Amino acid sequence: MDIGKITFLLNDEPVTIYADPAESLLHLLRDQLGCMSPKEGCGRGECGACTVILDGKAVNSCLVPAGKAAGKNIRTIEGISDGKSVHPLQRAFVEKGAVQCGFCTSGMIMSAYALLAENPAPRQEEVKRAISGNLCRCSGYKQIEEAIMTAAEEMNENRVRFVEKEQKE
Amino acid sequence: MQPETPAVRELISTEKNYQSAEVWTKVTGKAIYGIDLRLPGMLYGKILRSSHPHARIKKIKTSAALKMPGVRTVLTGSDLSCSPYGIVINDEMPLEPEHVRYVGDEVAAVAAVDDKKAEEALKLIHVEYETLPAVFDTGEAQLPEAPQLHENFPGNVAWRREVVRGDPESAFRNADLVVEGKFHIPQFHPAYLEPVACVAVSEPDGGITLHTAVQSPDIVRDLLAQVLKLPLSRVRIVGPVMGGGFGGKVYGNLNLYLISALLSMQTGLPVKMQLTREEEFTAGRPMVAAEIKMRMALGNDGTFLGREMDLITDNGAYSAQAPWVSNTLAERNDSVYRIPAIKTKARLVYTNKVPTGQYRAYGNQVANFACESLIDMAAKKLKIDPLEMRLRNCVRPGETTVHGLQIKSCGLAECLAAATEEIGWTKRKKGHGYGLSAAIHASGSVVFDPNLRGASARISLELDGNISLFTGEQDYGQGTHAAFSQIAAIALDLEPSRISVYSKDSLVTPYSMGALGMRQATIGGKAVQLAAEKLREKIIRTSSEMIGEPVIMENGRIRSASGRQVDFTEIAHYYHGQTSGLTLTGEGSYVPPESSYDDTKYGNIAVTYSFAAHAAEVEIDPETGALTVHRIVAAHDSGRIINHLSASGQIYGGVAQGFGMSCLEGYLFNEGRVANPTLADYKIPTALDVPDITPLFIETDDPEGPYGAKGLGEIVQVPVPGALANAVADAAGGWVTEMPITAEKIFRILSNRGAAK
Amino acid sequence: MSYFTAASLDEALNVLREAKGKALIIAGATDLFLKGMPSQAVDIASLPELGMIVEEQDYLSVGAAVTHAAAASSPLIMVKAAALAEACAAVGSPQVRNLGTIGGNLVNAAPAADAAVALAALGAKAVLCDIDGRRRVEELGNLYAGYNQSRIDSSREIVLNLIFKTCQFNEGSAFARFASRRALSLPMVNVAARVGLENGVFAEVRLVAAPVKPAPTRLFKTEEALLGKEPNEETRQMVEELASAEVKVRGSLLRCSADYRRHLIGVLAGRVLMAAVRRVQDKEES
Ligand SMILES: Cc1cc2nc3c(=O)[nH]c(=O)nc-3n(C[C@H](O)[C@H](O)[C@H](O)COP(=O)(O)OP(=O)(O)OC[C@H]3O[C@@H](n4cnc5c(N)ncnc54)[C@H](O)[C@@H]3O)c2cc1C
Ligand code: FES
Ligand code: FES
Repeated sequence: MDIGKITFLLNDEPVTIYADPAESLLHLLRDQLGCMSPKEGCGRGECGACTVILDGKAVNSCLVPAGKAAGKNIRTIEGISDGKSVHPLQRAFVEKGAVQCGFCTSGMIMSAYALLAENPAPRQEEVKRAISGNLCRCSGYKQIEEAIMTAAEEMNENRVRFVEKEQKE
Repeated sequence: MQPETPAVRELISTEKNYQSAEVWTKVTGKAIYGIDLRLPGMLYGKILRSSHPHARIKKIKTSAALKMPGVRTVLTGSDLSCSPYGIVINDEMPLEPEHVRYVGDEVAAVAAVDDKKAEEALKLIHVEYETLPAVFDTGEAQLPEAPQLHENFPGNVAWRREVVRGDPESAFRNADLVVEGKFHIPQFHPAYLEPVACVAVSEPDGGITLHTAVQSPDIVRDLLAQVLKLPLSRVRIVGPVMGGGFGGKVYGNLNLYLISALLSMQTGLPVKMQLTREEEFTAGRPMVAAEIKMRMALGNDGTFLGREMDLITDNGAYSAQAPWVSNTLAERNDSVYRIPAIKTKARLVYTNKVPTGQYRAYGNQVANFACESLIDMAAKKLKIDPLEMRLRNCVRPGETTVHGLQIKSCGLAECLAAATEEIGWTKRKKGHGYGLSAAIHASGSVVFDPNLRGASARISLELDGNISLFTGEQDYGQGTHAAFSQIAAIALDLEPSRISVYSKDSLVTPYSMGALGMRQATIGGKAVQLAAEKLREKIIRTSSEMIGEPVIMENGRIRSASGRQVDFTEIAHYYHGQTSGLTLTGEGSYVPPESSYDDTKYGNIAVTYSFAAHAAEVEIDPETGALTVHRIVAAHDSGRIINHLSASGQIYGGVAQGFGMSCLEGYLFNEGRVANPTLADYKIPTALDVPDITPLFIETDDPEGPYGAKGLGEIVQVPVPGALANAVADAAGGWVTEMPITAEKIFRILSNRGAAK
Repeated sequence: MSYFTAASLDEALNVLREAKGKALIIAGATDLFLKGMPSQAVDIASLPELGMIVEEQDYLSVGAAVTHAAAASSPLIMVKAAALAEACAAVGSPQVRNLGTIGGNLVNAAPAADAAVALAALGAKAVLCDIDGRRRVEELGNLYAGYNQSRIDSSREIVLNLIFKTCQFNEGSAFARFASRRALSLPMVNVAARVGLENGVFAEVRLVAAPVKPAPTRLFKTEEALLGKEPNEETRQMVEELASAEVKVRGSLLRCSADYRRHLIGVLAGRVLMAAVRRVQDKEES
């Protein structure tokens, strides 16, 4: 096992660690960086519980070799809100009952986050497709889809409000 | 009768979407699950498993593994002093000392400083096996020349049951129509998203603390104490958040727990273990596979006269709850309708395959596949509308079913009507297939342990005026605890958010059977209601003692006739002072009447019963057999719905699981080895697969459940296989009698009928 | 192990050369990571020259490191090589499509790899470069050594890009697969077609199915029978029969029986063919 120095941005903060580059990014995050929100449901890219955002794209962190993370920008659910307020996705997941056991939730929200960054007003079919790599055994997905649509609406309203405010000023 | 105060009505309507605060930890990634646990100095345990389906262990050499740097201990079956244990049958050892019976059987275990070292050490353990002939088929296993898996079970029959009710012989003799079918059901895994994980900590007093998320912690505690020969009070179960259970984690994975405890006791350090996804499939406890032969006798008008069932369930190598599951599988569906005569023969047979356990509805859901298919086969022959036929025969309030179940509240007929109305039963789309199915499920089973039928709860007024509720009932996302807060809130006239629920430490929570048999909402909820009512009385009594005049309590406020107001904090402090530190506490226990079970198991088995009818609409591609399930309407009588958000969530999730087992899932074997032990090949539904699901609630007012509520969590899955089988048959012109209903099987039916395009 | 993220093609080739067979190319890692990482990895996923989708005259060049997600959403590919966009959109899941690359799909050499099947139908050729800087162009069919075995030695050569003629005004392509689940599911069969119509009849057809042999398999007999025929319901039925008669397939416990697989290839062949034709007709109408 060769240990290498790996530097990347985790939720906008630079981190440097020494790790085996063949280790998975998932283990790196969980075991070395104490970032526990990505979960391991399979370790083979087949469940999506470990989903994080790598340079803007949702990926299975269990399939990403640590070496690949070097120089990249990685976002987990810890990095979607500032700790004081919550992200509209988080609020909508709670309000719509989209969370049961919650084991899929971090990964699910990250897939939704990546979707809304690319497509701020998705149709339900697009939402389904965007989360089709995230298995949820509890919910049947219905309330998750509702939550994502609701969050998208709220985010769009916020944008409109922001623009209106700008225009007034 | 239930108190129908304005407060109750209002609470159920305005707080119908209440959720406990824990949900915020889940959407921020902060919730700590079993796999997340880490304790200082902790070791990692791994299990060496048999690579043979059936073999004798001749020799195990562990010296090389023991010498490996980082390895702290190695255990084998011969190091153990415990005797075989089991939930129903004592047929299992944490590590098998000499005889392995399936690919995956536990042979040795290692504890090392990290999981990679533990994994590597396994490779250094050398096991010499003498392979034995193996048997994978339940039919072959019963033959005299078949290899014997367990000494005390000749013919490999682990459990058998024969039941006759009424006069089946004359029912079949006098029948106008007899229909029959043979149905095949494979093993299904609950496939909760978090594999079982635990950390065992050996305590200085010789005891064990096991950190694990399990549905019935107190029963696991009993079993650990029994197998490890520890005093019960020295075993403690502490629960992290659970990543799904669905009945598969009623007892978690007992061998894993026992092995980690043994490793910890041996090393004096905490030992963490967790199953890989592959181990979940190959050495977890999926639900039994079943072969069902069934006949039904009917009159010309569609009246059910009798039913005969010959059931063989595939136990795999060890039993877990398989006898109980086989029993429910064999008879629960008999009580959906008035069937005056029943003859059932059931056998549970050992084979050299993965051991089995339970999943969500105890086999009721897979029996539904057979029973409800047969009903539609009969309806077709008699040219009676399947809805009409079900309405004619379905069980009604006040009746006692053929097995002695006493039906109190029952909205089954209303469920049938509502589901068919909503799906457009009489306004069918051309080319689409429609199917219907009905179900009953025991809510608050009292027969698991006749000495512990009920539940208890403790509820305290804290110094800050908030309320702490202690219960042994577990919540892993079904919303049980939110409902408990709501129930207690009704009794105490305050907002549910002021009530925190604690359930996760066996040291401080009341003993409970846990999350099984749909008992938590009914029995557990009732105990909460009684405890909260006790606390309310005490608060009122203490307040009037404090101010010296009678008081009343309303909206979380207490006031006297003279207008003097007292708040909860004041009373809490007053009592605290009077007793030098105690808190005002209400204890409630709800003990349902004893089961009237007789020797033939005739009698009432539960506090009450929930009902459901599902209607499905499907479409088939005539060229390939590909199935599109457009819609499932799920009409449920679970009594009064306390929390709509989580009740709907239970339906969406449970129906999705029912759809998965009906159309996608199921174990595949190759010479006894699980051929699909991954989430890629054991296909649970993705968001693109799950059909449109419409929940409907028929809210009967149950006289037993808390504020009229009944259980919902298990029955949600039960009618799905039957409804889908019948909808597919309606579209394809014939029944797929083997689960899952795949495109290839549908295509075969179309081809045989000459209907394939 | 050592992990080297190449900043240029030359750099990647240099490292491979110096490692003398010990280093291996790695792209999205979605196949390699599960199979086991090499002792030295040379990551080419972010090489700009391997990530481009460019049209030059009548040809489209798709870089080997283009991800399935990028290919599926590329307007160029959607319009000029629809089969490839459809195939890439069907791979695994969004997360896998964000990592996995077209080059990796090809070199991994799974018999029913989605992108490979579409590329074979489009008539793509692979451009390779070895550690000595020698370039060569290969037919896809020549790249397979056996089931899940590529002739490409990723310790000494790199697939740079895939090139094929774009679908012209009278041409169209399509891809279809059959799987038991709608995401995260390997297909029971996948089929792709590229057709050219002249005067309302088939003038050119490439029809490819998998899994039949180690490599995506052209159905030559069916193709031939189609030439000169009008695309109509009758032809579709003919294709269905010919295609399933032409292939010899194996059944598998995990997917489906051989008979059913053969039947599906027939049905899907008919469908992709008609879908490809419709693409031509749509162009003619608009
Ligand atoms: C959960 C899951 C689902 C999947 N579903 C599908 C599916 O539905 N359909 C499907 O077709 N595939 C599927 N795959 C397989 C996989 O994602 C694809 O084959 C993918 O395209 C591989 O690309 P990669 O870049 O990840 O390859 P890598 O893993 O990086 O490489 C694979 C092999 O190719 C070599 N290689 C890669 N690029 C080059 C190059 N430019 N030159 C020379 N050698 C190279 C590597 O050395 C390695 O041997 C799935 C995988 C997973 C994990
Ligand atoms: S843990 Fe990464 S996809 Fe399952
Ligand atoms: S909430 Fe449990 S897996 Fe999604």
